[in-house]
Amino acid sequence: MSERPLVLEMRNITKRFPGIVANDDVSFDLRKGEVHALLGENGAGKSTLMNILYGLYHPDEGEILINGKQVRLGSPDAAIEAGVGMVHQHFMLIPVMTVAENIVLAAEPTYNGVLLDFGEAEQRVRELSERFGLSVDPRARIEDITVGQQQRVEILKALYRNAQILALDEPTAVLTPQEARELFEIVRGLTEQGTSIVFISHKLREVAEIADRITVLRRGKLVETLPAEGATEASLARLMVGRDVLLRVDKTQAHPAEPLLTVDDLHVVDDRAIEQVKGVSFEVRAGEIVGIAGIDGNGQTELIDAMTGLRKPLSGTVTVAGEVVTSASVQEHFDAGLGHVPEDRQRRGLVLEFSIAENIAVHDFRSAPDSRLGWLFPRRLLERAVRLIKEFDVRGGGARTRAGGLSGGNQQKVVLAREIDRDPRVLIAAQPTRGLDVGAIEFVHRRLVEERDEGRGVLLVSLELEEILSLSDRILVLYEGELVGEFPSTVTEEELGVAMTGGGRAKEAVA
Amino acid sequence: MPRPRAGRRMTTTPAPGPGVDPSGLGPEKRASFIERYGISQRAEGLAAPLITTVLAFLVGGLVVLVTTGKNPLTTYRAIFEGAGFSWFFDLGSNRVGLPFSDATIWFPWNVSDAESVAAANLQQTLIVTTTLILTGLTVAFAFRCGMFNIGGQGQYLAGSIWAVWIGSSFSGLNPFLHIVLAIAVATLGGAVWAGIAGFLKATVGAHEVITTIMLNWVAIWVGSFLFGLGGPLQNDLQSSVPISNDVVENAFLPVFWGDALLQGLHVGLFLALAALVVYWGVLNRTTLGYGVRAVGFNPEAARYGGIGVARNYFLAMAISGAFAGLAGAIDVLGWQHRLSTSDIQTSQLGFIGIAVALLGRNTAVGVALAALLFGSLVTGTSTRNLDPEIFQPELASNLTLLIQGLVVLFVGADILVLWLLRRARGRR
Amino acid sequence: MTTVALPAAAITPRGLRRIAWVGIGIGLIAAWIALPPIAARTWVPSLLLGLFAVAIGAWIVVQGERRFGWFAIVAGVFGFGLALLATFSGLGKLESVVVWSALFAAMLRFATPLAFASLGGLFSERAGVVNIGLEGMMLMGAFFGILGADKTNSWWLGLLIGVAAGGSAALVHAFFAIHLQADQIVGGTAINFLAVGLTGYLFIDVYGTEGTPTDIPSIPDVRLGFVDGIPFFGAIFDQLNLMIWIAIVLVPLTWLVIFRTPIGLRIRACGEHPRAADTVGIDVYAIRYGAVVLSGMLAAAGGAYLSIGFVNSFNENMTAGRGFIALAALIFGNWRPFGAAAACLLFGFSSALAQRLPEYSQSASVLFQALPYVLTLIAVAGVIGRSIPPASVGRPYRKQ
Repeated sequence: MSERPLVLEMRNITKRFPGIVANDDVSFDLRKGEVHALLGENGAGKSTLMNILYGLYHPDEGEILINGKQVRLGSPDAAIEAGVGMVHQHFMLIPVMTVAENIVLAAEPTYNGVLLDFGEAEQRVRELSERFGLSVDPRARIEDITVGQQQRVEILKALYRNAQILALDEPTAVLTPQEARELFEIVRGLTEQGTSIVFISHKLREVAEIADRITVLRRGKLVETLPAEGATEASLARLMVGRDVLLRVDKTQAHPAEPLLTVDDLHVVDDRAIEQVKGVSFEVRAGEIVGIAGIDGNGQTELIDAMTGLRKPLSGTVTVAGEVVTSASVQEHFDAGLGHVPEDRQRRGLVLEFSIAENIAVHDFRSAPDSRLGWLFPRRLLERAVRLIKEFDVRGGGARTRAGGLSGGNQQKVVLAREIDRDPRVLIAAQPTRGLDVGAIEFVHRRLVEERDEGRGVLLVSLELEEILSLSDRILVLYEGELVGEFPSTVTEEELGVAMTGGGRAKEAVA
Repeated sequence: MPRPRAGRRMTTTPAPGPGVDPSGLGPEKRASFIERYGISQRAEGLAAPLITTVLAFLVGGLVVLVTTGKNPLTTYRAIFEGAGFSWFFDLGSNRVGLPFSDATIWFPWNVSDAESVAAANLQQTLIVTTTLILTGLTVAFAFRCGMFNIGGQGQYLAGSIWAVWIGSSFSGLNPFLHIVLAIAVATLGGAVWAGIAGFLKATVGAHEVITTIMLNWVAIWVGSFLFGLGGPLQNDLQSSVPISNDVVENAFLPVFWGDALLQGLHVGLFLALAALVVYWGVLNRTTLGYGVRAVGFNPEAARYGGIGVARNYFLAMAISGAFAGLAGAIDVLGWQHRLSTSDIQTSQLGFIGIAVALLGRNTAVGVALAALLFGSLVTGTSTRNLDPEIFQPELASNLTLLIQGLVVLFVGADILVLWLLRRARGRR
Repeated sequence: MTTVALPAAAITPRGLRRIAWVGIGIGLIAAWIALPPIAARTWVPSLLLGLFAVAIGAWIVVQGERRFGWFAIVAGVFGFGLALLATFSGLGKLESVVVWSALFAAMLRFATPLAFASLGGLFSERAGVVNIGLEGMMLMGAFFGILGADKTNSWWLGLLIGVAAGGSAALVHAFFAIHLQADQIVGGTAINFLAVGLTGYLFIDVYGTEGTPTDIPSIPDVRLGFVDGIPFFGAIFDQLNLMIWIAIVLVPLTWLVIFRTPIGLRIRACGEHPRAADTVGIDVYAIRYGAVVLSGMLAAAGGAYLSIGFVNSFNENMTAGRGFIALAALIFGNWRPFGAAAACLLFGFSSALAQRLPEYSQSASVLFQALPYVLTLIAVAGVIGRSIPPASVGRPYRKQ
């Protein structure tokens, strides 16, 4: 590969936010037609750097050159003008509008300058679609198409504006392994046509596969820029984190005993009265971790809602430690022996304005010793919190500290502490390590295995296949509201990926 | 062809991004107004409300200057005197009697001078403050549960109407019982009136701002109907005046300072102070208060934690309305002693409660102080108390409204300032 | 369940809604036959029609179209209730109250200020900013409109001044909501307080205790000579104020702008997903500012119509909650121009009725004043199910 011209140079970029330096003297460049990966943990500064490139942030120091010319990217407009396009991690699409409307927004074709020309818009979208091999229906509404298709719309949006430099921010976070493969095809196609791609990710294997060069960021600083050849997952991980990382959790063989959570022929509908869980049956036994894998949106949320009492199922039963709780209230579920670590710790797990002590009390405040006949005893809350803070090594504050003042990892510890201290028979953990740094992830994983070893049943619902594979004793796959496969922990990602997209619906027995 | 999988969640619900995201760009996690309020409660304490008040008075003074050319400082001074605060500057050596005995103790101010204009003014200020404490608590309690109860006026009226009806009936009843009955029913009346809005919010999610405002107007018109000419509760003796029956003298609240015939200060003040304590106690020392606060800060987390959100919305609104109903009863039994349709249509104390709650940051102490501030503004600008040479009273009462509006406006903005300050200190 | 055999599975939501309208119509007819000019003196036919409407409505609810189904049920119940009341009241009184052409004309007059404010609110909320301050902006328009007309001796200058006043109040709201990102509901409430205080203050300052003079130039009516001969419609449309005609034109115009022009698309984008709009280069702040100021101007126009087109005077706080009713109409109409306009007509009709009902019963006339507010309450409470606001309405947008 001969030296291709530099289309982008970001030199000595520094960006500060209150209390943190997101980018510290980072330099990054991109050659024409290459795929340059930007690798780093959550919070390493990758998104910040790209947002600077896209004009959403202004760098405090440093300069940007495109095709050799210095540019000021003061707004997304300027970036678009300079040929930069971005596909964000959280899609910038308007759900109630159509594909065509989303793509032409702010660059709309019109009749005589006044009225929108929908026909023209659809036509242009179709042309682009064909040229780049990204098939979408211009008339479909965003909220009705798949995530993979939505991503294609995002890419088309950038191409509609003649992007020569395309930044993809964590593009495979929402895709199945198959869809990810399709994405890589698209990426290769784009580079062949001369587009240069920045591929932001924290997934080591993908980066090693798709990139030509890799730049590693850690805590806002540039660690190294290296060619993809010769890089291994382990070497990249070491660069990313700065030490050797345990990629799999150490755990002993499981010895499952009696079932603690039984779900039988559960049917659940969502807020739009559409059935999302279609006859799911499974059980979680004492001393085992059951993982439920699946692409986001295949019924996990509704399943968890139904199991925890947040939503009444249409039919079927849920039994916790022998007690039928199908139509019981949330509190009754907790009292029956269920523990729930919800998916979004800041929105659902904690009241950020409450102190740690108050948050820990949220299931128990109505009964003794926290209260009696409606009168609250704050001292009891504090006592329990102090004990748990020590036990779970929660850092960043005391029992009276606002939960919002803690870091993500410590917040998750508070949630875990609260659930575990109640000595539940079954613990449901949904996305327990989302957005946490490696240290916190290790803690959570270790803790979940400990709970399993103490005889509890753990149900892990996660979108991260690596997490499912490393923790689970048994893996169930949820696809379109049905359990389409049951696998032992030795299953490969490929096999899981196939099941997650509905292929090969054979149910394998556990070895 | 299989129906496309609706992968809505990644796009419509902003997923929680990295836990450490100082840029705030990833998830659209907006700190709700209530969350920010919570921040400010632990922050500067007194400084922010002080600044807000000063700003509001500054702008108000500007309006005075621009429209009438008068010196705003003399205007404010006149209002100050109209509110009776000049009484505090008249220090001396006096004695005041202890309750339930004949003994007296030393007291720096002269409470027995029946001629003192300043004393009379101060008594009136405190009477209004009593009402404003309660209407302020009305709004504050609802705010703590994340709701904006603008219906304090209607709930206050509901209480007044019940109080005047019970107060003017049952003439043979023991005074203590009579008062207790009137107050209890009025408080319940206010609770029910607010409860309607709470119920609608809890069941169909109707926005409480619109429902409470509509209920305000319904209360005003129902009240006007009841006491209007030919109305069912109109005065039995004076058929040409749209006024209610008089409250039986037995049911008057005892006056403890000043002349009972000249609107002296009645014991309702102590009820209001007790309400402040109840407010604090319920919110911070009861399980009900815990639930209310949790729902106010984060209804979703409350739900996930097992707390009934709809139930708390309803209860919080009902309790909120109870405070307002109590205010209505206290006013009727304490000094109004009757209700006329014009009273009903011109009353503003429920609305001022909104500014009181906001300025007082929904805390008990804050509400008390803010109530005192607005109470003095209202009294100080009234026709009886304000020296018309210095400033026209009708104009001045509108000035109060202006200042009120400015306070509400600036409160909204300074919350943000505080929030930014907090972010600057590095929220992790 | 019903007397008509309809293949349940084959009916689309659209079809269900059409059937619902039939049901609503039947409910209305149930009321209509008991009123003049037909004035049936027995409530039996109305009962049958009412039951039929309820049945249709219930069937539709079961089929899934809850909202429209409930409309039909309510129409049936109210239609019968009204008919019952009508049959028990004196024929003479009925005939003096229910003069349809006068009622309809009054309905248009009452609905117009609501429509202006509602459409204004539509722009603001579609762009993502809640405007609770419509009431205050309306009041500003009412006062400054009449003040301006008085001082300049011209109604259209007065109108312009009123509109400018509303726009300025809106500018303040926009600044606090958009730049300072204050809570929009609190800010709107503040605007309402300020408007009452400011207009009251200036009203007394300028006009003292006598009130506005009686000879202020008012917005003219539009005479349509050629409709004179047409029965019923002629009487209504013959002489309507200019502002009413403007409002009638404004409704489809708003629809066109919001749904068929690029600027409308961008406004909606700002209200649904402002970050997405920002990333394609739309200036979210500018659009939101524009929308809010426009909403203030429109609300003020409605208020100016109140003072210099309708009652030709000003009283303190004369808008009496109309701004909030307009907001409720917006929600009721699902944030669409025609829906909001229809809701405004409904509320206008209730006000028109309330105005005429005193002929029916003197003492109860005061109670009837509460009718529009009760109706609004029911409407807001009854918006069960799909009233979907713009996704990002009420949330401040933070640019970095």
